[in-house]
Amino acid sequence: MTDQAEELMKSGGMEIDVIPVSGELNVGPQHPGSGHLRIYVRLNGDIIEEAQVEPGYVHRAVEKLGENRNYIHLIPLVERPAILDSIHMNLGYIMAVEKILGVDVPDRAQYLRSFAAEISRIASHLYGMGILAIFIGHSTGFMWGFGDREVWVQILEALTGARITNSYVIPGGVRRDLTPTIVEMTRKAVTYMRRKIKDWENIFLNNPNVKARLQDVGIMTREQAIEWGAVGPNLRGSGVYYDVRKVEPYAAYSRLDFEIPVYKEGDGYARTLVRFEEIQQSLNILEQIIRDIPEGQILSDRFFKQIPPTRLKKWWEGQRRVVMPGYYASFRPPKGEAVTRVEAGRGELLYYVVSDGSAKPYRLRMITPSYRSIYVMQNLLKGVRYADLVSIYGSLDYFPPEADR
Amino acid sequence: MMNLLFDLRYYVLYPSFFNSVIYPGLIFTAILLLTTIWFERKAAARVQMRVGPYYASKRLGGFMQLIADAVKFVFSEVIIPEGVNPTLFALAPVLAVAMSFIPLSIIPVSVIPPSGSVFSIYFRDFYDPNIGMGVLTGLFVQYNMLLILAIESMYPVFVIFVAWVTNNRFAIVGAVRESYLSVSYDVLLIMATLSMSLEYHTLDLAKIAQSGIPGILANPVAAIVFFIAMLMGSARFPFEIAEAETELVLGAYTEYSGFLFVLTMAGSYVGNLVYALVFTDMFLWGWYPLSGFPGALLTGLKASIVVFFSVFLRAVYGRYRIDQALRGGWKYLLPLTFVSLFIGLVVGYIWIP
Repeated sequence: MTDQAEELMKSGGMEIDVIPVSGELNVGPQHPGSGHLRIYVRLNGDIIEEAQVEPGYVHRAVEKLGENRNYIHLIPLVERPAILDSIHMNLGYIMAVEKILGVDVPDRAQYLRSFAAEISRIASHLYGMGILAIFIGHSTGFMWGFGDREVWVQILEALTGARITNSYVIPGGVRRDLTPTIVEMTRKAVTYMRRKIKDWENIFLNNPNVKARLQDVGIMTREQAIEWGAVGPNLRGSGVYYDVRKVEPYAAYSRLDFEIPVYKEGDGYARTLVRFEEIQQSLNILEQIIRDIPEGQILSDRFFKQIPPTRLKKWWEGQRRVVMPGYYASFRPPKGEAVTRVEAGRGELLYYVVSDGSAKPYRLRMITPSYRSIYVMQNLLKGVRYADLVSIYGSLDYFPPEADR
Repeated sequence: MMNLLFDLRYYVLYPSFFNSVIYPGLIFTAILLLTTIWFERKAAARVQMRVGPYYASKRLGGFMQLIADAVKFVFSEVIIPEGVNPTLFALAPVLAVAMSFIPLSIIPVSVIPPSGSVFSIYFRDFYDPNIGMGVLTGLFVQYNMLLILAIESMYPVFVIFVAWVTNNRFAIVGAVRESYLSVSYDVLLIMATLSMSLEYHTLDLAKIAQSGIPGILANPVAAIVFFIAMLMGSARFPFEIAEAETELVLGAYTEYSGFLFVLTMAGSYVGNLVYALVFTDMFLWGWYPLSGFPGALLTGLKASIVVFFSVFLRAVYGRYRIDQALRGGWKYLLPLTFVSLFIGLVVGYIWIP
């Protein structure tokens, strides 16, 4: 009976195109809410049945290029995938090279590495927070994220000479020393950020609107987080106590006192809170570093001795910075391979470098935290509402260039 | 010569022309629109550690930036996508904006005293028996409350029309969201209005404003519900759901560019002004105790403040999800309207003659 009626409607009467309940949406790569990413979304009403996360739009073949450049020339390249967090990208690579070279890094340089890394972490988290805020329509969070990040970026500029592509860490140490001006800037920035975090709590974290958009959205249980291979704040937001800084301390982290914030809820709000508390922990770390940093060299003796005395006098004694010794231009490390892990802003960053004794690495492998988030995001997007796509995307702090490398 | 000038003045100030074209119609609305967008950008910038529009005219605080933007939009190419009906594509936003402008000529903005005002010569033509005075409005009807809401509730239909014409998936999702929202906020608006009309025993906005009892004191619940429904109805934060940029690009207006894009943007601001004027008359005393032209200015000022406040919310809130907004509307605000209805009946019986 019903079939007949439908047939009658079709043949007679007016032809009406009914908007289908289900359909596909092509979110990205040209979309205000996608970044350099294509998310192919299959919708059923307002519910996402399946979302295919397709990275690769900003793939720059960093790993392949790595096989064709000298070790030292690779520093600017490996930090390009995540220029917001370039200290970490740089640090992981240099640590792998140092392992192959067998260089000891002086204490002061270790502290300086932690110093730069924590500033980079704060800046990276603020950036992620800003992107999350604009994804859920909160423009003030967006501007504040970028505005407050500026303070830290300026410290990095004073310390390293560049705002984002710092290339600060070099084999055997770091390029520049801490000056009293930078210490003063950092003190001010720490005070400023502590004050600003209160404002953030008022307008963003405790905003009922933001809570409504993040709480109980994109819930990832502890088991799922481990199974899907989540890293960094996303893992810790699901109740897993895991941080490379604690598990496998590098730089000066074994001598620094800090806590790893962990939340059990596993939703977007928990991930956001983890990031906020990490910022606060980073501020504590920065204060400790300023207080405890030992005097001494910032470059391993092995390389420091190669710097000509005249240049040493001008640069090191005059401006507390080292110039690259000649050895750096095309050094040939011994045969060997090394794996290093660092806790980058978005999570664990792994480098695997194979040396065949030539001036170029035989193989450079980098597994970035955002790369690990692709699968997580794809799984989390199943069965959520369409509006939650951006909320989950933002709460994972996924950064396409970092994933694509 | 004097005769001619007098005639001219007679026609220019004739409320049907004056209200729909000069104030608060086309010209005033256009200026207020630019000011609102300027304020929106400046205020948000102040909160967000920015400067906002500045360089286009430093002395005016960057106000000319809006003019420059408008000029730029007018002269930029209107791209008509393939596979759409070009006539309908161009017509849809025009119709939507026209629709949003119409209620402006029905809203009473002031009363006309029998003598002493520039409008007093029209006293007889716009006489309102409910208050015993003339009413400064383009077209006086005793049921103007109902008529304004009825016309304004047509606006979402045109938004859906815009989306349907552009044949874009994001636009259609936006239109679906708009239709869901419009069903929910229209109910709230009408319920709030109904409780006010029961309270003041009238469907005439002029009588409510002229009664001398501010609606926001007489029925604060209705005022809250009306204000929130106004935010929903004019796509202000936190209910900017149908155009959600990061989700839907620009909702129903995704395919529009150039001048047509400006028109689509103008629609929701004009809608906001219409609701704000109704809000002013209904809850904020309107022009009372002034009358004539000063009264009209007072109404406009209050309405502008309401509009400014509602655009300022952009700096405070993100946007809700569509299901959260609908749940808020039906689960929390609708019961609240019943409360306001009850308040309206009781207070109207006790307090308001």
